[in-house]
Amino acid sequence: MSTRKNERKGASLKILNMHIPSHILMIFWVFIALFPVYLLIINSFKQRMAIYSNPFGLPGVWTLDNYIYVVQGGNFFQYFFNSITVVVVSLATILLLGSLAGYALAHWRTRLSRGIYFFFILGMMLPIKIATIRLLELMKIFDLFNTLWSLFFVYIAMGMPTAVFILTEFIHGLPRDLYEAAYIDGAPRSKIYYGIVLPLIKPALATVGIYNLVPIWNDLWFPLIFITQEDKKTVLLAVTRLQGQYSTDWPRVFALLTLSALPVILLYLSMSKQFVTGLTAGAVKG
Amino acid sequence: MRKLTALLLAVLMMAGLLPALTQAETVKLTMGSWRSDDAEKVQALLDKYKELTGVEIAFQPTVSDQYNATLRLQLDNGTGPDLYYSRSYAVGQELFDAGFSMDCTDIPGVKENFPESALDAWQTPDGKVFAVPFAAVSQVIYYNKTLFAENGLEVPTTFEELIAVSKAFKEKGIEPFANGIASNWDILECVYLGMLPNYVGGADQRALYESGEKKMNDEAFLKSLQDFAELAQYLPEGFESLTNSDGPAMLGLGRSAMFIDGSWTCGTFADYGVEWGAIAFPAPEGATPAMCFHPDMGITGNNATKYPEEVKAFLTWLATPEGAQTTSTYLPQGFFPMIDAPITFADPAVTEILALNDGKVLDARFVWAKLLNMYTPMVEQLNALTKGETTPEAVAEVFAAEQAKIVGQ
Amino acid sequence: MQTTVQRKTSSKNRLNPGGRYWIWYILPALLMYCLFMAYPMLDSVRLSLYEGTTGARTFVGFANYVRLFTDPEVSARFWGAFRNTWVFFAYHMLVQNVLGMLFAVVLTNRTMKGRQFYQTVVFIPCTIAVMVTGYLFKLILNPQFAGPTLRSMGLGFLVKPWLGSEKTALNVISLVSVWQWVGIPTMMFVAGLQGISEDLLEAADIAGANSWQTFWYIKYPLLLPVVGMIAILTFVSNFNAFDIIYAMATPDGAPNYSTDLIGSLFYRYGVAGKHPIGIPEPGVGAAISTAVFFMLLAGVVPTLRATQGKE
Repeated sequence: MSTRKNERKGASLKILNMHIPSHILMIFWVFIALFPVYLLIINSFKQRMAIYSNPFGLPGVWTLDNYIYVVQGGNFFQYFFNSITVVVVSLATILLLGSLAGYALAHWRTRLSRGIYFFFILGMMLPIKIATIRLLELMKIFDLFNTLWSLFFVYIAMGMPTAVFILTEFIHGLPRDLYEAAYIDGAPRSKIYYGIVLPLIKPALATVGIYNLVPIWNDLWFPLIFITQEDKKTVLLAVTRLQGQYSTDWPRVFALLTLSALPVILLYLSMSKQFVTGLTAGAVKG
Repeated sequence: MRKLTALLLAVLMMAGLLPALTQAETVKLTMGSWRSDDAEKVQALLDKYKELTGVEIAFQPTVSDQYNATLRLQLDNGTGPDLYYSRSYAVGQELFDAGFSMDCTDIPGVKENFPESALDAWQTPDGKVFAVPFAAVSQVIYYNKTLFAENGLEVPTTFEELIAVSKAFKEKGIEPFANGIASNWDILECVYLGMLPNYVGGADQRALYESGEKKMNDEAFLKSLQDFAELAQYLPEGFESLTNSDGPAMLGLGRSAMFIDGSWTCGTFADYGVEWGAIAFPAPEGATPAMCFHPDMGITGNNATKYPEEVKAFLTWLATPEGAQTTSTYLPQGFFPMIDAPITFADPAVTEILALNDGKVLDARFVWAKLLNMYTPMVEQLNALTKGETTPEAVAEVFAAEQAKIVGQ
Repeated sequence: MQTTVQRKTSSKNRLNPGGRYWIWYILPALLMYCLFMAYPMLDSVRLSLYEGTTGARTFVGFANYVRLFTDPEVSARFWGAFRNTWVFFAYHMLVQNVLGMLFAVVLTNRTMKGRQFYQTVVFIPCTIAVMVTGYLFKLILNPQFAGPTLRSMGLGFLVKPWLGSEKTALNVISLVSVWQWVGIPTMMFVAGLQGISEDLLEAADIAGANSWQTFWYIKYPLLLPVVGMIAILTFVSNFNAFDIIYAMATPDGAPNYSTDLIGSLFYRYGVAGKHPIGIPEPGVGAAISTAVFFMLLAGVVPTLRATQGKE
């Protein structure tokens, strides 16, 4: 037995673990994933006509004119501040409220809790846009028009069903021995949540974060109807308007879109290490 | 976690404080519009207005295809803009009937300074005007002068010549047209409705179809569809996935010789340094030349505005010849004021396009006034006809059946 | 397999101290959800029994549903969109989620180099706004834009009106959507695979299992709850998908409704109204969503039962 194991740890390990096909697959996908991003960025540095004769290559003449023009078109720092505030506040609240509820729903198994759980899940199955008219009325009652608060509330509510769903399932899937002792010792719930559950569900929190980041970041509809004031606009809302304005000037549109996409990509890249470790942090040694 | 909470609180506080800091008590009107493309130019016009009168108006355009829905939502909730662009005919009237749009009948100048054809688009059957006519657009064919000269081709004056020219270009390996069907609107609005007045005539004839006296499978319609099908053969390679915004580039870069579009596009060609011209859609031999000159944008006030006086003052200004002249200097090229007064344009090309109207029967887009429910079936049928999946005869039958549904009501 | 390995200890529901006190943990989430989502949505579902827009609303009973299923035009659109949505869903299940699982298995292979780099890249498309993705792919697939270059590279066969043909448009858009979102199931599977105990994998290794056997007999069964969760999330989000169609094929689901999904159909009828009239019919929109809601429920509940929370 031991000889066999040594053999497997040796030269043939790479073949057995299929490293070569894995690398081929991943390199292929890296190319597919990055090619459109490459196009987006390089075309934003081209002169207007160059884009037609040479859509895929590097620019013959690099120019920053497109960016200079676009940056003058709107207050991008403000748009980014707004968008990032909306995303951060909404996500943080979703994760906090979702994990508290998920913790409770996973541990408290009664008819009532199941009912509540199911009630949350129902929310995933209807398009939120259906509620537009009522939401508008609510925002009017609370006087939240042209404030980022209107977006926080809608997005937080919108994220609840998936957050509760994923986190409840995940917490429920954790081996109970991990906190059994703590319960028996009579530790308070809040301590178990903070000290035991939270560190264990980091991968799930990362997942929920991503799963909700996408629709919040991409949403155009609610900013469109809640926000008309220039200084409260989100990036995407501003970009759609400017895109119409530049519609036939492609390099300018590319510059605009790069400007809207790059900060998020960079933000992601700078945090990807934490993100990946967050994802692996909960590895159960069970 | 604690850091995160602190950050959260800090951000929340900042977001809460911002509105308090920026509030001020001056008259500041807002204007809603579907023309996000024109944001810069219209804002310049509004700044000029502020210079003249001291009243500030902020232009707040929405993406065109979401304008009607979002405006309606905002008006329903009392958060609509003080002034807003009004669509012509039934769509605009709907907001008036619902009590949102101001009654503009008594705005000084409205009844006097605009021709009946312009008022028609923003008028209820009992003569109430629900918006001040702002701008009209015409449907034309743009062409690349250099390509025509290089290939020794004459600019067509009849439909038959247009087809002959297209054929000649195609044989030389140049795409005759730059139009596609992927935008799902321009094949109807620009191409078919642009050519239709040449076949059915002006507003008086349109009225006969609207009342059901004439059927949409009659000889005139059939001929228009046959000619459309013939023209469709000369659409470029991959026309199925070309959008309206691909057109200017194709014409500008000399890949296509002609581009059938609205007057609103004429400002974009300069960027390509192309020698371009515009012609009216040529009528078939022997027919009376007619043209689509479409009342497109009106401006009206919101009944719920806090500043009705200022809003009315702006609308009054729009209805004066001075207002129209100022407007036309700032409006994007290819949008024409509808006022009954001589207007001059800085750009000779624009004057030339407007001059195409001279001596022709003019009418709005055929379906706009009363047959708007035919819009979707017409787009579907024309798409199929373009792809060769149906015949002009079959399309005419569908048109007549759809017409009967609306007229028969 | 899974009950013997991981869930063995989880059946002790005796560990349920405090009972109702738990409600305080749930309440903040529940309040937010009720006020800003559940109440407005449920109240809007009621609109399916009404006709007209705000101000001029009349009760019409089930007329909107009757119209949805019997009016030749509306029902043709509904079933067309319904069929297209299943195709869209099939692509996400069979391509996106399978690819995601494959990536996750590779990315959790502890002996492989460059995992972090790959993992980072797989997720990059998710960070791009759908509007941007749509714009980029529209250009890449545009025969007039990319055509001349592709031809000069000898790749002329790729120059086709992909998005303009009824035969290819939906498939292409589905694949673009897969391209964008494959990172999400990948991340979820990675999270799930990380949770598998190392002792178990070690044991399998010692017993001489090859990587396929390890995957099929150990990892996959343990991943089943994650598979179920992803299936449900994919199902639900695909039936509400709208952005990518809006960005790549206009809200009409061009060409000729071949890319019309339930999400775009709902948007057209219930939210924006059809071009150029643009007056929505919230009643019909609500009827569409309600009908789809029950269909989703019929799909989700059994999946939930089969894969999740066994006690």
